[in-house]
Amino acid sequence: MQPFSLSSLIPLLTFLVPFVAASAAPAADYHEQLNLKPLPQNSLLASFNFRSNTSLPEFEAHNFRFFPRSLGQILQHAGTRELHLRFSLGRWDAETWGARPWEGTKEGGTGVELWAWLEAESDDEADHKWLTLTNALSGLFCASLNFIDSTRTTRPVMSFRPEGDHPNTTMANMHLLHGVLPREVVCTENLTPFLKLLPCKGKAGISSLLDGHKLFDASWQSMAIDVKPVCPTGEECVLQIEQTIDMVLDIDRSKRPRDNPIPRPIPNYELKCNTTKSYHADDTCFPTDSLNAQEWTLNQIFGKSMLGKCPLTDSNVPPVCIQAPHTRDVFTSMDVTELKEPGNENQRCYLLPNNEEEFHLALPFMPRDGDHPKTDADEFVQPATPLLYAERSLTGHGQEHGGVQAILTNPSPDAEVEFVYMESLPWFMRIYLHTLKARISHRTGSDAGQSLRDDNDVIKEIYYRPFLDRQRGTQLEIRMKIPPGSTVFMTYDFEKTILRYTEYPPDANRGFDVAAAVITILPSNSTAMTGGKAARMSNLRTTGMLLNLPTPDFSMPYNVIIFTSTCIALAFGGLYNILVRRFVGRNEGPEVSLVKLRKKLQDAVQKFKGRVQERLGVAGKGAKKVEGKTD
Amino acid sequence: MPNVQSFSTLRARSYVFRLPLFTRLMVLAIVVLWLVGIQSAWDLRKWGALIPDEMNFFTAYRMNTFPLIHLNFLHALLNLLALTPLLERFESEYGTLTSAAMFFGPLTTIPAVTYVILERVIFRVNTPVMGASMWVFLLFSVEAVRTYKINPYFVIGTVHVPTWTTPLVMAFVTAALIPSTSFLGHLCGIGTGYLFGLGYLKFIAPPEKILRWIEGKLNLLGRLPHYVSVDQKTYGRFGVLPSNSSSASALFVGRSPKLQKAPPYISLLLIVVGVAWLFMLPMNDYSRRTYISENALLPGQVHTYFGGSDQNVLRAYRHEVGALENKTNTEVNDKLEHMFRSMGLKVGRQNYTYTTSGNTVAGENVYAILQAPRGDATEAIVLVAAWRNVKGEFNRNGLAVALALTRYFKRWSLWSKDIILVVPPDSRAGTQAWVDAYHDSHDSRRVADLPIKSGALQGALAIDYPQEERFEGVHIVYDGVNGQLPNLDLINSVTNIASGQMGMGSSIQHMFHHNDQYRDRLTCMLRGMVNQGLGHAVGPHSSFIPYHVDAITIQPVGQGWHDEMGLGRLIEGTFRSLNNLLEHLHQSFFFYLLMQKERFVSIGTYLPSAMLIAANFTITAIALWVKTGYAAKADTEKESKDIKEKKGVDAKKSEQTAEEAPAPVERELYLPLSLVTGCQFLGFVPLFIFNHAPASVLAPLFVAVTLLSLVLPHALSFFLVTTYQPTHQQYQLITSFFLLLLGMFLSTLATLNFSLAFLVGLLATPLTFVRPFPKMPAAGYAYSALLSLLNPGVVVLSAAVATTTLHGSGLGLGVVGVTPWEAIQKVLEEGAFGWGVWGMYTPLIFWCVWFPAWLVGSVVVLG
Repeated sequence: MQPFSLSSLIPLLTFLVPFVAASAAPAADYHEQLNLKPLPQNSLLASFNFRSNTSLPEFEAHNFRFFPRSLGQILQHAGTRELHLRFSLGRWDAETWGARPWEGTKEGGTGVELWAWLEAESDDEADHKWLTLTNALSGLFCASLNFIDSTRTTRPVMSFRPEGDHPNTTMANMHLLHGVLPREVVCTENLTPFLKLLPCKGKAGISSLLDGHKLFDASWQSMAIDVKPVCPTGEECVLQIEQTIDMVLDIDRSKRPRDNPIPRPIPNYELKCNTTKSYHADDTCFPTDSLNAQEWTLNQIFGKSMLGKCPLTDSNVPPVCIQAPHTRDVFTSMDVTELKEPGNENQRCYLLPNNEEEFHLALPFMPRDGDHPKTDADEFVQPATPLLYAERSLTGHGQEHGGVQAILTNPSPDAEVEFVYMESLPWFMRIYLHTLKARISHRTGSDAGQSLRDDNDVIKEIYYRPFLDRQRGTQLEIRMKIPPGSTVFMTYDFEKTILRYTEYPPDANRGFDVAAAVITILPSNSTAMTGGKAARMSNLRTTGMLLNLPTPDFSMPYNVIIFTSTCIALAFGGLYNILVRRFVGRNEGPEVSLVKLRKKLQDAVQKFKGRVQERLGVAGKGAKKVEGKTD
Repeated sequence: MPNVQSFSTLRARSYVFRLPLFTRLMVLAIVVLWLVGIQSAWDLRKWGALIPDEMNFFTAYRMNTFPLIHLNFLHALLNLLALTPLLERFESEYGTLTSAAMFFGPLTTIPAVTYVILERVIFRVNTPVMGASMWVFLLFSVEAVRTYKINPYFVIGTVHVPTWTTPLVMAFVTAALIPSTSFLGHLCGIGTGYLFGLGYLKFIAPPEKILRWIEGKLNLLGRLPHYVSVDQKTYGRFGVLPSNSSSASALFVGRSPKLQKAPPYISLLLIVVGVAWLFMLPMNDYSRRTYISENALLPGQVHTYFGGSDQNVLRAYRHEVGALENKTNTEVNDKLEHMFRSMGLKVGRQNYTYTTSGNTVAGENVYAILQAPRGDATEAIVLVAAWRNVKGEFNRNGLAVALALTRYFKRWSLWSKDIILVVPPDSRAGTQAWVDAYHDSHDSRRVADLPIKSGALQGALAIDYPQEERFEGVHIVYDGVNGQLPNLDLINSVTNIASGQMGMGSSIQHMFHHNDQYRDRLTCMLRGMVNQGLGHAVGPHSSFIPYHVDAITIQPVGQGWHDEMGLGRLIEGTFRSLNNLLEHLHQSFFFYLLMQKERFVSIGTYLPSAMLIAANFTITAIALWVKTGYAAKADTEKESKDIKEKKGVDAKKSEQTAEEAPAPVERELYLPLSLVTGCQFLGFVPLFIFNHAPASVLAPLFVAVTLLSLVLPHALSFFLVTTYQPTHQQYQLITSFFLLLLGMFLSTLATLNFSLAFLVGLLATPLTFVRPFPKMPAAGYAYSALLSLLNPGVVVLSAAVATTTLHGSGLGLGVVGVTPWEAIQKVLEEGAFGWGVWGMYTPLIFWCVWFPAWLVGSVVVLG
């Protein structure tokens, strides 16, 4: 893309009006594009891409134009050369939706992920700058990025490469730090600051479509910010900020009006039934709606309409593109130019006029029966098969041990795939590296389904940085190579740690989130040699996991206090008793009170008897009379 | 010396009146000096305190005055309280004169000088001290050293703490608790006390001769009241310990013939109380109303929208499911998989094959995962709709409801957890295979791995709806394998939603018409206990519970006006509640007995009942053990007679001692131990047989084993009597051992499966009272006959006969149209199936706890 035509005049103008030249930066430009891609099963992928450049000298002179000042100052303060920030939610369904947008490079694991190259003389300095950066970004994006402490920070060795063009002098002093917050729920408070970084701030252009309600109701969404220096050959180096939002919308769900989002049952007559069923009747209906054709308009699925184009963009770049077969009917508003690339059968782009009128786009219903029945192939482009399928889950049960199983499948029938699998695990998940095993099974050929080779063939290289209790987590990077059409089951065991009482979060029984594993697929030698554009790395992330640790009953401390108090009381009582008791022989001591009491009683009885007898002796006859009476 | 336990004013008064002279004088001096210190004209404290910097030859009086002067009333009072008893002890041991000499001399000056030197030379500070606490610590350490000689350690846990450290500990505690105490001063006192106690300061004591001379000359003993003579210590008042060292248990049982007779009565009392306790539970005062403990559940707080056109879909699904009724498992799963996929769900299938009792149970589970639209695969809830329920009925409506519900759930975006719909072909093995594989604890030879998985299971709900008509209410089945129960909150939520929101009735334990009176509550509770005690799976949900996944089965019952959409809304409401959960259900509501859907007793209330019954065995066992340690009275008399013949005169004496304390005798342990151990291990034989025998021979085999077990005690007893001629003591030991084992097993079991422990305990209670009847063989045979009635095998057989003939009137286990023979076979098959598939340990308890105890008990009776 060419910069402004004005830029060629700049050498002349600088001489005359220096301050004008300063404001009209040579390489400062802004570019935005929305890519719509209908997917199978009633889904739609919408990729928003915003990109602006500023030249490095301008940037260093605190001269921001399209580059957001708030972010720029943070980057300068923290000595950040390259920054990547991701907010993600949901999971990409690779089976149905195929390969990921941007080859997975613009997405993160569930939650928030941040990695950056910082310029620092030493590791300590880098840590310090990292702390500054995370805390500042935390404030800027309303995310708990400040919780990325040393236990969540890793320094990946094999997985990440700088994407920008860095001079070799700075490369030597650059430190890569990587941190993930898997528990962080991405929501609308993160979107607002994200939009504020844009030059049009969501007021015009494609960003006016972005609405928290729809974005966070999507089946999968990822917001990304990448800042990197780019040096086009023969031109001045620029600092590029690229903001991306990708989301997969469920069309049925997105079409629901905002004031009535409840999926109430639709009326009987709107139900699409399979009328060929023998039992089909007015009150019986076998539904066919899941196979229905897509039918939507831009306003419907985003809940807003697009307010013209952003006036700051390059007018030559079409702001909206749709990736659908040319047989797909697409209607747009008037005075919109449709561009079809001659080489690409599946892409159409729309150039908007320079006014503030709303832009409309509608994909009408295409009947599957009738005179010209349409098929899935007319509806959407069949998604490309991804290079690798990855799935990861916990195995085992109980409070003590567990295991992790990662299933990695190379779907390609003929190409090997080489990648780096990176896990950053929390320290309380004590992994046993010796249990790391990789079984491989082939899906095709005569030896299908059998586990054939051991890990030596699959695992090429392991970088392992063990955990330190309460200081840092485990970092595990494994370079693997999977032959075509094979599946690798990689497993390892771990032990669960009992945490300290105060280390449990308030919702301790929920479990602890473990960050997604990052898979970096390395460009294969063959494609690199053929000189294709595939020399880029592509990424993939597994889903997160929920680790259940042994959780105490939280009334435990009180039980312990009571228990220890009892023990001390008993011990003290016993000791005191021994100290002060005088041991006396049985015969030496006084008589036991019971015996005494008995004696006293006996004495009393004796006395009483004596007295009675005395009295009897005195009044002999009278008493006898009485006795006679009683008889 | 009074101690707290036996405090009485009378004794205290007499103690105070008997205080010896020097102690009195010191107390008086302290009180007087405190009174003097109240006035402000003359600073007594400045005059008398031990101030290191002001010490010189002329102020040496301070060394003697400082212990008598106190800071304030509290200081004086506390020190007096501590000092008086110690000083009294000292004085009454050493005599008044010696005490006076020591306390005005070395015992005060040595610590004082040490303190002053330490303060001035080493610490170079000037902390004035006063008060008698130095004396207190000094005397205390003297006592501690003395205690140490007699009683060197006291034990805390496994740590032996020497007793001489007590004053140091006290000094630390005092320093920590009371501000502005002089720790150093106390240490000086303690040091001196140690030295004195160890006898290193003997030389400073004034020579006894002189003291005695003074005492004699002045006739102090006669003149002074409360004077303690110097000679006091020669009288040997201390150090005399009880010469009789017999243990407490011997004192308890051995001495008193009355106490010796008590244990059987105590045991009987425990049994009676234990049983009565259980019958008290249904009363209002002992049971509680249920409540929702986890507030996040919010049951019945959401609108349910399952209805309208979804009913049309449900009808269609019912037709689809109905058309598959007679198809094979694979065909059914193919069709279901297709339906799931068209709904946009992820589908997995899993094969399993179990072999028990010669039968092979094989099948294929199919399951679908509805991925939470915005979630990450971290948590999941399970909906189970088995193809056939536990009775083998075709669960047509249940599956149709589950399918329609899943389709409806797919429309919502609010799910925070994945929803997994599992369709096993049967309700017994299928779910078990699935859950085992989900948690990777399966045997991969019998059960296949799951191809896809989701997150941690947070709850499971099974639908069992085979009936075609509309229903009146729902029946909640909640018992898990081995009597484990789901969290009560789950049951409460369903009850709450069913009755509060849907207006349905709900019931438990087949009590469809519960009037909430004592009788119904008791019946309901007992039914629950029988189910819990048997420990088998009562529904597809049962297999989830051992993995700490709370699960229940919902069965629509009765004839009413609720249709399947109502059931769907009930499940929707429950799923919404489970979806609300932030944490796994963890409140301590896993141990309860329900006696009505809204009334329960918690473990703290019901556990004592089983524990008391278990304790009755233990008490008798311990009593018998103690008894066997002493010769019985008859024996001693015989012995004493022998002695009389031999020694004539001495005989009388020995007879007296025999009466006083029975003579200890050696226990002959070999035979009892080997018999009890042997019988314990014998139990594994039938356990093995019945878990591996084919189904067709189970019933005859069981009858044969029962008959054999009835004969076995007689044979064993005959063998014992003829070969070993066990003594009375050996029989007692045998009884003691097997009762001890039984008590131990049952009390442990009571915490795991209360009902099983209670039932086995109750049926084993006659074993507490077994003893040989050598003189009354008739009584022995009668008792043996009673025990034969309670033979484990006989109990099972009669239960089978009873339930088949008296169905309905029993505990809800009545089976219609089954002969007792078939019933027994069914029970045994269930036992073997449970052992092999569910991991049910009831057969183990039956054959390895109850059976051996019964066997040994019967042998003892026949001895």
